Amino acid sequence: MSHFLDRLNFFKKVTDTFSGDHGIVTNEDRGWEDAYRARWQHDKIVRSTHGVNCTGSCSWKIYVKNGLVTWETQQTDYPRTRDDLPNHEPRGCQRGASYSWYLYSANRVKYPMIRGKLLKLWRDALSLKKDPVDAWAFIVEDPAKSAEYKTQRGLGGFVRATWEEVNPLIAAANVYTAKQYGPDRIYGFSPIPAMSMVSYAAGSRYLSLIGGACGSFYDWYCDLPPASPMIWGEQTDVPESADWYNSTFLMMWGSNVPQTRTPDAHFMTEVRYKGTKTVVVCPDYSEASKFADIWLHPKQGTDAAVAMAMGHVILREFHLDGKSEYFNQYVRETTDFPYLVMLDARADGSYVNSRFLRASDLSDSAGQANNPEWKTLAFDEKSGNLIVPNGSIGFRWGEKDGMVGKWNLEPKEALSGAETQLRLSVNEIRDQVVPVAFPYFGSTQHPHFACTSHDEIQVRNVPAKKVRLANGSEALVATVYDLTLAQYGLDRGLGGDNVAKTYDDDVPYTPAWQEKITGVPRAQIITVARQFAENADKTHGKSMIIIGAAMNHWYHMDMNYRGVINMLMMCGCVGQSGGGWAHYVGQEKLRPQTGWTALAFALDWHRPPRHMNSTSFFYIHSSQWRHEKVTMTEILSPLVDPQQWQGTQIDYNVRSARMGWLPTAPHFDANPLQLVKDAEAAGQAPAAYLAEKLKAGKVNFAFEDPDNPVNFPRNMFVWRSNLLGSSGKGHEYFLKYLLGTTHGVQGKDLGEEGGEKPLEVKWREAAHGKLDLLVTLDFRMSTTCMYSDIVLPTATWYEKNDLNTSDMHPFIHPLSAAVDPAWESRTDWDIFKGLAKTFSEVCVGHLGVEKDLIALPTHHDTPTELAMPDVKDWKRGECDLIPGKTAPSLIVVERDYPNTYKKFTSVGPLLDKLGNGGKGIGWNTEHEVEALATLNYTVQEEGVSKGRPCINSDIDAAEMIMMLAPETNGHVAVKAWAALGKITGRDHTHLALPKEHEKIRYRDIQAQPRKIISSPTWSGLEDEKVSYNAGYTNVHELIPWRTVTGRQQFYQDHLWMLGFGEAMCAYRPPIDMKTVEPIIGQRPNGNKEIVLNFITPHQKWGIHSTYTDNLIMLTLSRGGPIIWISEVDARTAGIVDNDWIEAYNVNGAIAARAVVSQRVPEGMSMMYHAQEKIVNTPGSEITGTRGGIHNSVTRTVLKPTHMIGSYAQQSYGFNYYGTVGANRDEFIIVRKMAKVDWLDGEVSAETTTAEAH
Amino acid sequence: MKTLKVLSALLCYPQPEIQAALTEMIMALDEENRLPQSQCWAVQTLMNQMRRTDLMDLQESYIGLFDRGRALSLHLFEHLHGQSRDRGQAMVDLLETYRRHGFELSARELPDYLPLFLEYLAQRPVDEALSLLTDAMPVIALIGARLAERGSDYHVVFDALAALVGEPASIAEIRRQAATEGPDETVVNMDQIWEEEAVTFLANQGGCGINRPIPDAVQPVQWVPPPDSTRQSARSL
Repeated sequence: MSHFLDRLNFFKKVTDTFSGDHGIVTNEDRGWEDAYRARWQHDKIVRSTHGVNCTGSCSWKIYVKNGLVTWETQQTDYPRTRDDLPNHEPRGCQRGASYSWYLYSANRVKYPMIRGKLLKLWRDALSLKKDPVDAWAFIVEDPAKSAEYKTQRGLGGFVRATWEEVNPLIAAANVYTAKQYGPDRIYGFSPIPAMSMVSYAAGSRYLSLIGGACGSFYDWYCDLPPASPMIWGEQTDVPESADWYNSTFLMMWGSNVPQTRTPDAHFMTEVRYKGTKTVVVCPDYSEASKFADIWLHPKQGTDAAVAMAMGHVILREFHLDGKSEYFNQYVRETTDFPYLVMLDARADGSYVNSRFLRASDLSDSAGQANNPEWKTLAFDEKSGNLIVPNGSIGFRWGEKDGMVGKWNLEPKEALSGAETQLRLSVNEIRDQVVPVAFPYFGSTQHPHFACTSHDEIQVRNVPAKKVRLANGSEALVATVYDLTLAQYGLDRGLGGDNVAKTYDDDVPYTPAWQEKITGVPRAQIITVARQFAENADKTHGKSMIIIGAAMNHWYHMDMNYRGVINMLMMCGCVGQSGGGWAHYVGQEKLRPQTGWTALAFALDWHRPPRHMNSTSFFYIHSSQWRHEKVTMTEILSPLVDPQQWQGTQIDYNVRSARMGWLPTAPHFDANPLQLVKDAEAAGQAPAAYLAEKLKAGKVNFAFEDPDNPVNFPRNMFVWRSNLLGSSGKGHEYFLKYLLGTTHGVQGKDLGEEGGEKPLEVKWREAAHGKLDLLVTLDFRMSTTCMYSDIVLPTATWYEKNDLNTSDMHPFIHPLSAAVDPAWESRTDWDIFKGLAKTFSEVCVGHLGVEKDLIALPTHHDTPTELAMPDVKDWKRGECDLIPGKTAPSLIVVERDYPNTYKKFTSVGPLLDKLGNGGKGIGWNTEHEVEALATLNYTVQEEGVSKGRPCINSDIDAAEMIMMLAPETNGHVAVKAWAALGKITGRDHTHLALPKEHEKIRYRDIQAQPRKIISSPTWSGLEDEKVSYNAGYTNVHELIPWRTVTGRQQFYQDHLWMLGFGEAMCAYRPPIDMKTVEPIIGQRPNGNKEIVLNFITPHQKWGIHSTYTDNLIMLTLSRGGPIIWISEVDARTAGIVDNDWIEAYNVNGAIAARAVVSQRVPEGMSMMYHAQEKIVNTPGSEITGTRGGIHNSVTRTVLKPTHMIGSYAQQSYGFNYYGTVGANRDEFIIVRKMAKVDWLDGEVSAETTTAEAH
Repeated sequence: MKTLKVLSALLCYPQPEIQAALTEMIMALDEENRLPQSQCWAVQTLMNQMRRTDLMDLQESYIGLFDRGRALSLHLFEHLHGQSRDRGQAMVDLLETYRRHGFELSARELPDYLPLFLEYLAQRPVDEALSLLTDAMPVIALIGARLAERGSDYHVVFDALAALVGEPASIAEIRRQAATEGPDETVVNMDQIWEEEAVTFLANQGGCGINRPIPDAVQPVQWVPPPDSTRQSARSL
């Protein structure tokens, strides 16, 4: 008898004595203490916040009693703002206030979970093979065995496991994958590090140490506006919300401020009482619309037409008619308006604008020895000369001696230093007037959007000046300003057609022209544009546009954004307090960035890390390209020869990658560890060896053959994210191809259906179930968890220590562990630390010290951003393959696999040796490493990490971030500004000197949120005089924007920008995704089908944008998936409010309830994103499985202009530039459901076992 | 009372130790002889079945039932307080009860976890244990009824508990709810459950906020939901 029943499972009986009889336990009634206890309703209050996906970044008080969280309330102790500004508090909304209910919810993941089928296979394999890596190989190398668990994904069947059992399995899978296929087959996805930096860094540090690839998120979420890198060379930089209060004309354009920026909205409502005018541009009557003095409601997706027409008015009245001296001076000094663009002759006698005139075009390179291809020119009014002004990107890199320090915006000629006044237009000095052809896209036919009948080529007269080139020929040039006036259709009295004299002319881009497309009355356009500019003129730039996802999620988002930003630049608003571009989508602002990157990507041990742009990664590996229906000829400029521009989206991506523009993961169809071994065996340098193999076609890029098993991504980690429930565009394709399980894809692939097949990519039979192992870390059973092989329980936001910053306010504040992680959960830091430890043990005998070959794309803010002034593809024989120039750099990194854990838990020596930095600025950081050694202590144990500062705990990691970053360490800030000053030739240290001795530590921010210190990582100031505003230091400190010209760019001159007709902003209608026609009317259920545009805005009643399963939040809406439709469409389809409806297309199907509302315009539907399929979702009649999530009807489409690289601001950077996951051009078929079937009677993510179509 | 301890063990996540102790548990039930014959047989049949079933299958089915969703959660306050903030305080109070009687929680579990609660009861004098169990019975009976509705054999454990103290008065209502509620009552019928009540300021004698706990009052562990408990927690927003 084991006496099982006599043992206590859950309790320990308090013994009579303790501490060696020094203590005595009594059982007397201690009720008298209650009176004392009741005085303190809680034992302690701990400061924490909510840490993945909310820009709010609000500090909260967490009340703890007897080790349990009881409730939370808002913190109200933010440092005060200035005397003329409202304070930041109260911050925190109802979504945040409902978070504590998650901790103990039934949905909490309490134990490590693994699918029973996989665990059985693992145990059997382990008993047979003993060695974990061999055991994993035994499972995944057997197709029958691996199918056994892969096909069960999403179908339940989980059992609890222990950390001791799952860690070796995961580590073994990683070791096996690295050894067999290469570490670049291990992928990690986690978003928004700013909201819990240490938790993000835990996973990325582990992956970076073993050579796994970290995937980007900001671009994949489609929150990255590529227009920002194009125009400013900056990922995203925006004013803090307090700066709204400094504005005197506030536009909310596609941004639902009261709903999605709840804690900050008060600045907007308050400033209205100061007299600020508010304008809302939004197709539906959103929460923001009711705050508007004027509400414009253009047809969704046509905002660029509105912006172009407003730009037309501004250019006419304030520039051409010369109403504003301020604007005139602003655009000359801070934009590319005065810069010269070459005009190329066309066969028909007209011209077409091409690239900027460069110093290298002129004889003797205009005296510029260094980077003459990267120095742009303008005419100087003072001297009358054609000059090279300071500040273009060529001055940033490689200058010597007297030419150092010319990268600034001082109005000077670069060689002589003479004062200049750049000429805005060549009209006054023109040699001739020439007809220039401009592409016009507004006549493109679309089944659901109105078009006009204007020619697709608009020829307009432009003044031109002759310039003699180095080769003796003459070229015609015009300024960007001249071309912009023509592009906007303004008649300057130069004759010719297609220009407008009045606003009523039916010529693209007049206020009259846009009426047909947008439905907005011309008078409203004129009024708003005029007032916007008038206000900016009088206040020197205090007109602001708050903008959001609604604008950025369209395929042609760049046109929407550039249209709006053009208005701001024309009116001198960017970089001015109370003005500018306020894009609040996602969360990019990790303030102590340079301290964090060292920790997160293990730059203290290995450089470079492996990064990958997730949009391309998922598009390719979830085989969405196999279903591509949007051809690239559809979006080409009518001015180019389609024969020269062949290929599909994946073809462009392959070309981009091989030219070194975009990254790859996996890199090649060979193991990068093996490649180095082979090179050494051949007695060659690895880079040269591989270049040779690539040229000979013996080694190929993995993207050229994605269905080849050697090119699969094999292992994937997802943490802090609900990839499959929220952000996985093309959800059903993920299920079908990447996971190999039950799915709802309805369409046929190109093989079955015909259609344009890729040129650069091998077509073979589709692969299913590419991933061997999907591991998700979460604290609740999300849709992603349901599809994972292993789910690891993480600490919630009240159970861990971490850091949090936002772009909405200037403070850094913590997440703190109010209570220990409940059940078997652990912090992300501890989970990955544990994995690093197990990995180090399991790899012995399989991986030792290995050399890994990394294919690194050229990179923005490094000298390689100047790699390719003219596009040349080595594979087409246009140039030689030169790594780092015409192809990715091929860099060997030595990894010491058995020492992974020691490296994970200590600060590595590369910081002392190579220093630290970011955004093109570097500095020595030995002092900070020394200080960390005193603060965190040093490693005593023998080995690689001996004597190095420890990073054992999450707090140690937080201290490392804050010690190394200029934003939290005044000494570093001064060093960073000094380093920048060397390049600009100006002294900027005064911006940080007053705070030089300030050092923010973790315990400081636990006491109170702290304002960060100004640093050159960002373009605004943390100052007692001005609110943070992006571009402020560019305008006021004369630091160039990181673009070709060094100025804000209206004009984009890369060959691919010209090819796709986007050198200048234009209106481009939404693209036709062709997902409705093949299936409409094919599967009748007796109810009428209607076709609607599918819009997915941020929700109101979820916790942030990730969690939509909180009962109380759901209660405030309809409790499950809902789709908003208009009354007119509802009537047509016979749908009444609250009916169950189905929305579907070839991508998949959704089952939801209809919300019929006057709010929604006809032809459009809205589904708030991230509504979980684990909550209240019945079966779909179309798929026969459970109705999907909002992304079940979407599919990613890529745009070649986002793949541009090696071209100054248009160069790759992690989350900075790359393809973005647009999804708003999608259409769905909507109909009432005939029968609501709850399938198995239990609410779960599992689909039925019925085979999908 | 060892019977309670046996029932506690049966509701724990299936583990090798539990499977190994099944014989010991069957004997303990016989020895104590607290359960009526039919309930005793039913439980023993379940135990025999558990002995024969592959452990991992048992675990999979346990997770599928009790670790997924709210309807069958074994955390009792999930059913009483859900995601309302009252839950924190209720757990604190329960923890205090355990401590007062010399029991310190040593597992990483919440105090309202049913097997844990039963283990505590098993350590207490019979009368006290049964009296506390009676208080918790409405929630326990609801879970049992839902299990029966779903055809899960686990319901016999809940029947056995009911047999020890008698079914709660509202059992018919509970069964009807379990039989008619659909997938997850709290989710599907959300609109009705959470329907806003008309606010009255004068009709209630206590004035507005009558349903709120009075902060100064010592709040004993409340098992039986007040008649309007779900609505109350909605309003505690």
